[in-house]
Amino acid sequence: MEEEMERYSRQMRFHGIGEAGQKKLLASRITLCGCGALGTVLANTLVRAGVGFVRIIDRDFIENHNLQRQVLFDEDDVAAGIPKAEAAARKLRRVNSEITIESIVTDIDHTNILDFVKDVDLVLDGTDNFEVRYLVNDAAIKLNKPWVYGGAIGSVGQTMTIIPGLTPCLRCVVESSPPPGMAATCETAGVLSPTINIIASLQATEALKILSGHMEAINRELIYVDVWDNEFRRFKISKLKDKVDCPCCKHHNFEWLEGKMGAHTTSLCGRNAVQVAHRTDSQLNFVTLADVLQGVTEGEVTHNKFMLRFKADGHDFTVFPDGRAIIKGTHDIDRAKTLYAKFIGH
Amino acid sequence: MPIEVQIPTPLRPQTDGQDTIAATGATVQAVLADVIAKFPALKERLFDEAGQPRRFINLFINDEDIRFLDGMETAVKDGDSLAIIPAVAGG
Repeated sequence: MEEEMERYSRQMRFHGIGEAGQKKLLASRITLCGCGALGTVLANTLVRAGVGFVRIIDRDFIENHNLQRQVLFDEDDVAAGIPKAEAAARKLRRVNSEITIESIVTDIDHTNILDFVKDVDLVLDGTDNFEVRYLVNDAAIKLNKPWVYGGAIGSVGQTMTIIPGLTPCLRCVVESSPPPGMAATCETAGVLSPTINIIASLQATEALKILSGHMEAINRELIYVDVWDNEFRRFKISKLKDKVDCPCCKHHNFEWLEGKMGAHTTSLCGRNAVQVAHRTDSQLNFVTLADVLQGVTEGEVTHNKFMLRFKADGHDFTVFPDGRAIIKGTHDIDRAKTLYAKFIGH
Repeated sequence: MPIEVQIPTPLRPQTDGQDTIAATGATVQAVLADVIAKFPALKERLFDEAGQPRRFINLFINDEDIRFLDGMETAVKDGDSLAIIPAVAGG
């Protein structure tokens, strides 16, 4: 066995992987959309497993209440104000320096998703909202890339694997996302860390099967777990392929990718916060912005190269170089837009 | 023997906390009508303004998606189970 392969020896001894499978993993490229609860477990597992290229995309920063379940982060990361994608990449480069980890701090939307999907073999869902999932679904079907959906709230989790042309896609199964107020969120129902770990681990297993060349072993049904009620089920969905008149995988009508669906301002799951996405042609200059804000804010304006923070009108603002802002202390999108316009401008 | 309707955790506030409800009816539509007669607060959760099942909720008879069967007109028999499964967004 080659020396650099030794670290994967226990995984290679497993009959489904072997040396040939491990070489395929090392030659594989994945994009991870979202690096929160599901995402940190996915990134941790697949970097250790030796997936050769891991792109981690996340728009958010780390807060104290993330530490209960977001396994790659610690108190130092919270204090340092490092974005999740960057903190995860730094930690994982120390775990496995022999693979490539790319971190991208941005909001995934219809203008950038194809770039993130086109040069990888597989996309993994670590997001907390259906807007990004439908975007990933459109991009994956359009570019013929497999992806693995995962969702978790409270003690309940779901996962399904989407292989274009072979399985139903997300829109075949979940025809539309829950409207506001109609479904539980992380804030109303909370979330147990074991729910996250189980769902993300199932997703990661699907990734290992697909990337090591074992498409025959994938899960073709909807897995449903309730860790509190001791329920482990597989609902039969594989026959839905071609049965449902799916706008995405049957008609190739990519409404999310074309920007016809979805907003750029979103209320964040489990948080009393709204993200306002204001795309700018150039990066924000934090020094200038901090100067402008001095005197109108409550307390100090702080910034590093990743984010600028201040408090105003009783709300905490976190502003990113691409013009996005997360405004805490409100669920109201219009109120958030108003606050954005009031303090950040554009 | 009635149909066992399985209520997911997020909808249990509408069923006084009950996780399964025994209901009767010859089709999925009729079974759900019986459930709603017992727990009227479920109606708004399960159906939209046009009376159609909400599109983020999937219904399974004995673990088979009803859209692969006959949809809301799918025939049910005593002892069948009807699972109501809303999409899970968080993560």
